[in-house]
Amino acid sequence: MAKRLLLIGTVALLATVVASVAVAQKNVDLEFWVGASVSEAGPPPDNWRAYQIVRDRLGINWKIVLLPSTLGDQDTKINAAAAANNLPDLFQVNRDAWYKLAKAGLLAPVDSLLTAMPVRTMTHYDDVVARKMVTLNKVMYGLPEPGQMPMTDGFVVRKDWLDKLGLKEPKNLDEFMTVAKAFTERDPDGNGKADTYGFGAYLESSGLQQAGLGLRFEWVFGAFGVAGTWNTQDAKSFGLNARKSEFLKALQFIKGMVDAKIMDPDWNILKKDEYRARWKQGRWGMMHENFAALSTVANYKDFDKNFPNGLWVAPPPPVGPEGKSAENVLLKNVRVQAISQRAAKAGKLGAIAKLLEWMAHDEGYILLGFGYEGEHFKRDKNGNITVEGIPAEKQWTAKAQQPFTQLRNLVFINTDVELKARYVPFKTNNGRLQDPLAYWNAFRSYPYTDSTGAAIINPPANAADFVRYYSENVMKFVVGQQPLDEKSWTDWVAGLDKLGAKELEAAAKAALTEAGFLD
Amino acid sequence: MARRFGARYEVGFQVAVDAFLALVLAVVAVPLLRVIVTSVAPLSPEGIPGFAFLVTPWRWTFEAYRQLLGHRSFLNAAYISVVVTIGGTALNLVLTMLLAYALSVRTLPGRPFFSFLILVPFLFNPGLIPTYLVVTRLGLIDKLWAIILPTAINITNTFIMRNFFAALPEELKEAARMDGAGDWHIVLRIIPPLARPIILTIGLYYAVGHWNEFFAPILYLNNAKLQPLPVLLRNILLAANLNEYVEYDAYSAAPVQALKAASVIITTLPMALIYPWIQRYFTKGTLAGGIKG
Amino acid sequence: MSSLAVPGKVRSGPARTLRVIWRHRAIYVMLAAPLLYFLIFRYAPLWNAQIAFKDFSPIDGVMRSPWIGFRHFLTFFHSIYFGQLIRNTLGYSLAKLLVGMPTAILLALGLAETASRRLRSVVQTASYLPHFLSWVIMYGILLGLLSPGDGLINDLLKRAGLQPIAFLTEPRWFPVVVVVSDVWKEAGWSAIIFLAGLLGIDTALYEAAAVEGASRMQRIRWISLPGILPVVVVITLLRLGNILDAGFQQIFVLYSLPVYSVSDILDTWIYRSGVLDFQLSLASAVGLFKGVIGLALIVTANRLAKRVAGSGLY
Repeated sequence: MAKRLLLIGTVALLATVVASVAVAQKNVDLEFWVGASVSEAGPPPDNWRAYQIVRDRLGINWKIVLLPSTLGDQDTKINAAAAANNLPDLFQVNRDAWYKLAKAGLLAPVDSLLTAMPVRTMTHYDDVVARKMVTLNKVMYGLPEPGQMPMTDGFVVRKDWLDKLGLKEPKNLDEFMTVAKAFTERDPDGNGKADTYGFGAYLESSGLQQAGLGLRFEWVFGAFGVAGTWNTQDAKSFGLNARKSEFLKALQFIKGMVDAKIMDPDWNILKKDEYRARWKQGRWGMMHENFAALSTVANYKDFDKNFPNGLWVAPPPPVGPEGKSAENVLLKNVRVQAISQRAAKAGKLGAIAKLLEWMAHDEGYILLGFGYEGEHFKRDKNGNITVEGIPAEKQWTAKAQQPFTQLRNLVFINTDVELKARYVPFKTNNGRLQDPLAYWNAFRSYPYTDSTGAAIINPPANAADFVRYYSENVMKFVVGQQPLDEKSWTDWVAGLDKLGAKELEAAAKAALTEAGFLD
Repeated sequence: MARRFGARYEVGFQVAVDAFLALVLAVVAVPLLRVIVTSVAPLSPEGIPGFAFLVTPWRWTFEAYRQLLGHRSFLNAAYISVVVTIGGTALNLVLTMLLAYALSVRTLPGRPFFSFLILVPFLFNPGLIPTYLVVTRLGLIDKLWAIILPTAINITNTFIMRNFFAALPEELKEAARMDGAGDWHIVLRIIPPLARPIILTIGLYYAVGHWNEFFAPILYLNNAKLQPLPVLLRNILLAANLNEYVEYDAYSAAPVQALKAASVIITTLPMALIYPWIQRYFTKGTLAGGIKG
Repeated sequence: MSSLAVPGKVRSGPARTLRVIWRHRAIYVMLAAPLLYFLIFRYAPLWNAQIAFKDFSPIDGVMRSPWIGFRHFLTFFHSIYFGQLIRNTLGYSLAKLLVGMPTAILLALGLAETASRRLRSVVQTASYLPHFLSWVIMYGILLGLLSPGDGLINDLLKRAGLQPIAFLTEPRWFPVVVVVSDVWKEAGWSAIIFLAGLLGIDTALYEAAAVEGASRMQRIRWISLPGILPVVVVITLLRLGNILDAGFQQIFVLYSLPVYSVSDILDTWIYRSGVLDFQLSLASAVGLFKGVIGLALIVTANRLAKRVAGSGLY
């Protein structure tokens, strides 16, 4: 009897061991390199519920690595891993870098994935233009996540300064200059010091799409009809905006701004954080800023503390001499999630699809996007996300809880529920109700230069030199380090041609025509 | 002849030297002072005040320090930094001293060959990617060894140390050899007390390199728990520039300049405190020569 | 050549060499670990650097990527910025050497010559502190001093009625900022090495000179300076070998579009074109180019140093 029990016991033990080994072996190891949503907060804690669920129910051992905070560091880390053919299973990458990796054959085609995750494909990847952006030779080599909202940046003015000086919102470029001069010279904050300026900006150029002076000045180029690097109005006129004479006029206007000293003199050495710190200190009265950075409760509070009666309004972008205007150039913006060829060869595509699909709806979506229900947030009677009744440090928007929602990039698709949860109206220090989404809606209602297709233009081999030549000379023109006239501008364009501008335009035109963006 | 250089000359010389040193002190101290003062600046509409603020900070707050030191990952990051610095420096010194001593022995057969062997990589730095390939092949990715081993020996330091060893009195080494001591005894027992200043200096040089290193960890380490202090501070400081979700801004109860300045102080202070402590060992018995006039 | 038939003693030849080697066996053991390091972490990567002559594809790996000869070097030489890069790189290296080294030596001399122990201790400690600051941090310091809006120096200029100067974005001033800030940061540290050297000079020499009636200046000129000459030579030679490394960290943190023309150096160009643009072979090629130039310089300079100063690098 005892012997039989012993035998049964041993068999049972062996079976358990074999089964658990089998189960353990069934678990796939996946490593994701994620673009953190809040770079200083760190990855989710080890006891994060998502890890458990994914391991037990989906059979995946999930490892999350946060990418470095700056784009340069990100690209360096990714490119180094690429060089060693050691890319992780899934990683976020900017489009220009993605293109090089795809060309080198390091990325896996994702078409098989799309069929394996129907819900996600429908909610995330239904945008035809976005799909074109990650397509090379008719095959998709990455997943175009839609996370970034369009038309988020626009032209804004200090209304309280306008009122104090008895001025109206500027409608065109001439009025802009008048208001700017008034802001600089007539002490609109009434503190007796000459410490205010009309316009504040900083250089935000990166890559070919944002070459030149960058985002903060696009409205000027828009007023002349040449917003953005590329002119994609139609097949006949397609080319670099730099060739058009309106481009020269736009440059001359900006130079006029610099010469009239209506801008904060540090404008071309400021970094983003200093730029933001300065307008909160009341340095200038007009700028082109991101609506969330301007008006959400976390970002507005410093400005509110310093200037309780301050008020930023969003008038339409000033109109140029030909009656044109644009807030910005409209480019399709996606966050590319790439999958390494190594992962595909190791047969991990199925597991990746499972994981991505899980986080595209219901449980996974909520967990990654907002945290634990009941602990970090609640639902109100309409099903919206709210923090009513949750103590301040436990709210999903609190600093201490940021690690839980670091993977927002992978789940947010800008639904109404999301937007209402992220951008909450609040009362300012003087009792005014401020709704961040109101700014965004205002921006969206104004003209934009549509250049959607330009997003699929691939960088040339000598991109670094080309972009430097472009941006550096634009800078020199504008600050007066070299003369700005017909001749010098023509010489500059000729220099671009020497660097292969014509070939670049030809290749771009072919790509756009093939993708159906030019008629 | 002695008459030409009398007491007045001596005094004048001393005054000139001291004035020069005082000038150096001012040039060095003013920017550092500015950093300290900026690190305690509060949020205000005027931003960081200018000249007068340098001398008398009349409003101050430790908010910036609170936010940096109170960060949940701060202790872990500091711990990693300490481990890497101490462990790394120990490895550096052992390897460098052995190499430097070996190269300093004039009678060593093949000495020029070995010296040249060391010189070649100094000139031909293969660069980021080739080194990364080697580290990957060795399976060191995401291990602390990846940030210590590739730079285990600094060639400049080796040459400097070699020269110092070679300049040490030959008689001592000869005497030791007569007594039957081998080279190991020389390098472990005889050289260290004599070459203490240079060993400490080079050790400090290595330590500072480890303490400030941020690029190698970004490249080779993935695990957030292995990130050292400079990486953490860099993330905090750059966060204001880079948050995609700009509705959650960076730590902003203190002005961004104060955060930057505070991170400077936090990173510099440990190293700055160690040197005076080490400096005691430098000057014992060796000062006399220079000042006796 | 022919060994004399002296019993028990071998005069020359391979047997003698072997005996010398055997006598030094401990040294060779000491060399083992460091040489292993060099093999793995310095020479193996150099082996990988052959991708400079190949069309490197990570999929194929280093060995299987095809050879294309000097094409990457030609791309580099034909870059429109080639001349500018070389000029900036060499310019900064030389300027830092020519300004930094004498400053450090001067500081070391001052520290050695002062009678006030207090002053020496305080100044020495203060002067080496900036060395511990990384350039990321230095940027903040420099901004606080030099920004046209509210930097300390421009504040003083404005109070004096002068125009503020945009030090960091003016091509005329930027190189000055680079060199001066580098000297400020490193002079105190470099002085330590020289000071250690000065303190090591035999006091008897000074006493003898004093007895002969030599002045302080003469003692400095004829005893102190020659005493540290070997160290100076070694450091100078090493820096010449690295002359095409003008300080990537510093430039990378400080430079910006308005001053690219005077700040872009080889390493920043490699970073943008090689690493960020994923042209790995190109980056390797430029790295090799730097090495060849550095080698030529060191070999020449070493020969010169041995003849003129009596000591060299190897």
